[in-house]
Amino acid sequence: MKINTRTVCMCLLLAGLTFNGLAAALPPGVMQVDGVPAPALKLANLDGEDYDLANNRGHWIFVHFWASWCGPCRREMPSIQKMTDILADSGIEFLLVNTSETDDEVFTFLGIVAPDLMPLMDLDGQATELWQPRGLPASYLVDPAGRIQYQALGGREWEKPVYLDFLRGLRSR
Amino acid sequence: MRFRIQYLMTSQCLAVAVLALLLCTRASAIDAPYPGPFIENDQLLIVLMPHTPEQMAAFYEARGFPRDAIDLIRQTCFVTVHVENKSRSTLWLEQKNLLTTSNGKPLARLGKKYWDGQWNKINLRMASRSTFGWTQLPLVRDLQPDEPAGGNIAFPGTTESFDLEARFYLGQDKRGGMLVTRFENIQCPKDEPAP
Repeated sequence: MKINTRTVCMCLLLAGLTFNGLAAALPPGVMQVDGVPAPALKLANLDGEDYDLANNRGHWIFVHFWASWCGPCRREMPSIQKMTDILADSGIEFLLVNTSETDDEVFTFLGIVAPDLMPLMDLDGQATELWQPRGLPASYLVDPAGRIQYQALGGREWEKPVYLDFLRGLRSR
Repeated sequence: MRFRIQYLMTSQCLAVAVLALLLCTRASAIDAPYPGPFIENDQLLIVLMPHTPEQMAAFYEARGFPRDAIDLIRQTCFVTVHVENKSRSTLWLEQKNLLTTSNGKPLARLGKKYWDGQWNKINLRMASRSTFGWTQLPLVRDLQPDEPAGGNIAFPGTTESFDLEARFYLGQDKRGGMLVTRFENIQCPKDEPAP
């Protein structure tokens, strides 16, 4: 069978475009960013245990900024709880950062809505300021080298397959 | 209250503008699905939610704001603005393009510089400053498709009512045309007198 070289080239081109299109496909509200180094994040969690993002490299990290007074944050939190349950063995680390609230406020809210989540406490809001989120809630995906590769805009339904598949596929990106 | 929306044509984007002209709507307060005056079409949603001093004081009091901060907040007219980009392009929310007037004259808003000055005077703790900051409307936001943004704009408490003309550029480079929405006679609600 004689195959036209032009046809082969066209097929390869189309296949390449399709692959690139799939590779670039992102779930709704998730934006690729420039891979800037993640700002410092050195805080204690609700139990008083210290955490430093700089000491946690080699895996993807989901960083989520929120506050209990923020309506979209409240609506999104159960979805984040479900996502962390489903992806517990995915190798992704989930960091919740509460912005400028007290232990009591956070404990009261999370105790009801997402009791298994242990947030970092940005008590004076200064760590959040360093990250300059577009608003609250805000989620970032930090790659194993400590660079921000993706940002989610506003609250998302993280337990939906489109987001879970995306997160599961991070290791191959 | 009357609201209207119009689309300004620019020479660069006649086609977009013509399309948008077809989409022009007059917003209605009848059967309102939002808690305040709004304009909604397939380019954007903008909702205004004026609050009484009591409502605002209660919100910040519940977040541990001290008495002197609450007193300042009580003397202010706060209106929560919600903007959502419903277009397929970047929509620019820029506070400099939110033009507020009262009785036909420009009405200045109380912005970050004013609040920083007030908070310095009373030495407000950082956590409260941060919370207050996050509850204000961002100065600039290049809203991506489907992205919402919200927050308060503030006026002196003596303000009775105001008009707002909000202009939004479209396109990453702001060359995709401009949406203009207009709200008239927005009231700064006062507290109900005690029984």
